[in-house]
Amino acid sequence: MEAITGWWDDYFFATIVVLKIFMASLLLMVIFGLIGAAAKLSNSIIAKKIANAYTIIFRGTPEILVVLLIYFGSAIALTALFQVFDPSIKYVDVPPFWAGTFAIALIVGSYATETFRGAFLGVEPGSIEAARALGLSNIQTFIYIRIPEMWRIALPSFGNHMLSLVKDTALISIIGLNELLFVAEQATATTGKPFTMFIIVGLIYLGISTVITLFVMGLEAYGRSHLRAVK
Amino acid sequence: MSFDISLILDSLPKMLSGIGLTFQLLILSGVLGLFLAFVLLLMRLTEKWYFSFPAQIFIYVFRGTPILVQIFIIYYGLPQFEAIRESIFWPILREPFGCAIVALTLNTGAYVSEILRGAVLAVDRGLLEAGSALGLSRNQRFIYITSPLAIRLGIPPYSNDVISLLKSTALASTITVFDMMGIARTIVAETYAPYEIFISLAIIYMIFTFFIQKGFGYFENFMSRHVKK
Amino acid sequence: MTQPLIQMQNVDKFFGSFQALKNINLEVHKGERIVVCGPSGSGKSTMIRCINRLEKHNNGKIFIAGRELTDSEKDIDAVRREVGMVFQSFNLFPHMTVLRNLMLAPQLVRKNNKSKAKETAMKYLERVKIPDQANKYPSQLSGGQQQRVAIARALCMSPEILLFDEPTSALDPEMINEVLEVMEDLANEGMTMICVTHEMGFARSVADRVIFMDLGEIVEEASPQEFFENPKNERTKLFLSQILSH
Repeated sequence: MEAITGWWDDYFFATIVVLKIFMASLLLMVIFGLIGAAAKLSNSIIAKKIANAYTIIFRGTPEILVVLLIYFGSAIALTALFQVFDPSIKYVDVPPFWAGTFAIALIVGSYATETFRGAFLGVEPGSIEAARALGLSNIQTFIYIRIPEMWRIALPSFGNHMLSLVKDTALISIIGLNELLFVAEQATATTGKPFTMFIIVGLIYLGISTVITLFVMGLEAYGRSHLRAVK
Repeated sequence: MSFDISLILDSLPKMLSGIGLTFQLLILSGVLGLFLAFVLLLMRLTEKWYFSFPAQIFIYVFRGTPILVQIFIIYYGLPQFEAIRESIFWPILREPFGCAIVALTLNTGAYVSEILRGAVLAVDRGLLEAGSALGLSRNQRFIYITSPLAIRLGIPPYSNDVISLLKSTALASTITVFDMMGIARTIVAETYAPYEIFISLAIIYMIFTFFIQKGFGYFENFMSRHVKK
Repeated sequence: MTQPLIQMQNVDKFFGSFQALKNINLEVHKGERIVVCGPSGSGKSTMIRCINRLEKHNNGKIFIAGRELTDSEKDIDAVRREVGMVFQSFNLFPHMTVLRNLMLAPQLVRKNNKSKAKETAMKYLERVKIPDQANKYPSQLSGGQQQRVAIARALCMSPEILLFDEPTSALDPEMINEVLEVMEDLANEGMTMICVTHEMGFARSVADRVIFMDLGEIVEEASPQEFFENPKNERTKLFLSQILSH
């Protein structure tokens, strides 16, 4: 156990990095998911085709491949771009944090498009008709009727997306980001106790997953609170 | 920025030579994982806490941590223990391929057992009541009523898990397994052409995904031909 | 007076804090045809489901053919062999043919061999007038046919009593009669039955006794003639006026 003592703060900061990635990619994932869902629900054939392609591409491609592609690929693309302005630039480095965050947000976002689309379609048509009949405007209907029902429908799947996001952060260590697995690898080199070091990583991830799961369960209970039967 | 077609044509056969390993990883882990899933399911469904509780913990741990971490723990971590190095499992656990199989099997076993459990819970209660009313015992109801119907209900989510498993096989490349992904990464390291190589590889995986989905689609339609109204 | 086939004594049933059955006392003798009616939520289904232990009663005692219904698996299994049930939603096993649906329990529970089970199955399929559907799957049958198969399935176990839980409530109107006819035939052949239903015509022509339940209690019990022509309790009168006016 003494082996670990020197490494607590490294693990701590690495956990912070993981949480930062999670937050950033969560925001992006929601944005990508909403745009994709909107495209699939729209009347534009082109938008639908693009959104469907988005889903097919990211559902069928290994996550690690996406991370590598975006990391290396964006470096090359940006280098080429910058070389247009300043030919003396040899190499533009894309920070692994952002390449990785963007990559996993894209991946989970492709699943989120289906979740949001399903949630939108899952709203009782009767509620919408009733709102219209009562004279609510489109925006009012959207805010007061659609959204409350939508987030309740989407919540279980959305919870799974958040868990996927957390677990996918581990992939970013492959492109050199100083997060948990990376720290564990370094710690192994000096302590010679790989099992211990990696188990700690596992436990930290388990802890984060647990917190997210509990949070989602709490939200689900809140979402159902109006359904308590009246005896 | 040019797109080097000749490089793609040159690299495709090399990457495809990794198909053997990719499929071995997929099929072996898939089948073993399915067995494990059934065992876990039965453990989970009993009323005996000493079966149900360990199963729940196992499932919780393997679904709550990244696969990559699981792979690293098994490949890099287990050799830390002398007991492992001297056990009969060492020939398997010493090899990257063996470790990948173990990790993928345990992982997919956990996920699939939850899928099966969901399917079991989704079987219409009325059918089980009818079985009870006819005098069928609990085991008889499980074998003749619940299982056949749960299997049919479980096919769509299971097909998604098989696709996830396919994608997870690519992670074996991180512990030096030379499946399609592993080969691709070495080519990229040599040629500095990530776009051409990785995009081609992505297309290959997408094609496999397409066929897996189609296959399961046919299978589901076949199994449900009488059950669907 | 022979021992009643079914005896319920001071039976209560709670769902959490809600009391679904209040002090139920009921006796059913062999050969009797009982119809139970009442508004929804009155506890009619709950009462008959307690008889074959699909629901567990909290207080009181239930005796089937002299045997008390307790938590013991043996008691429950013994009861279920003698008590058949027909459900509102048919509950035919969708992944089995009609024939297999009928043969399953006799083979597994009564340990009959395949040919005997098949013989019994075909006999009852003819009884309910659809022997030609033997190899079809439930999804290929109409609602009325499915319910008749469900009745045949229950009969294959040669039960002493048949319980019907709103057997025609899920049927389209034009199919109700074919099922009621089968039930009438069974009644005329002497099958002991308890039928929860809204079909008052059936009650009038077939029942020996009509029982009215409301809010978990048995409010009134009488012969059909007495019941329909001369109801004694206010609640019974109210119910009858609501159900018979349209």
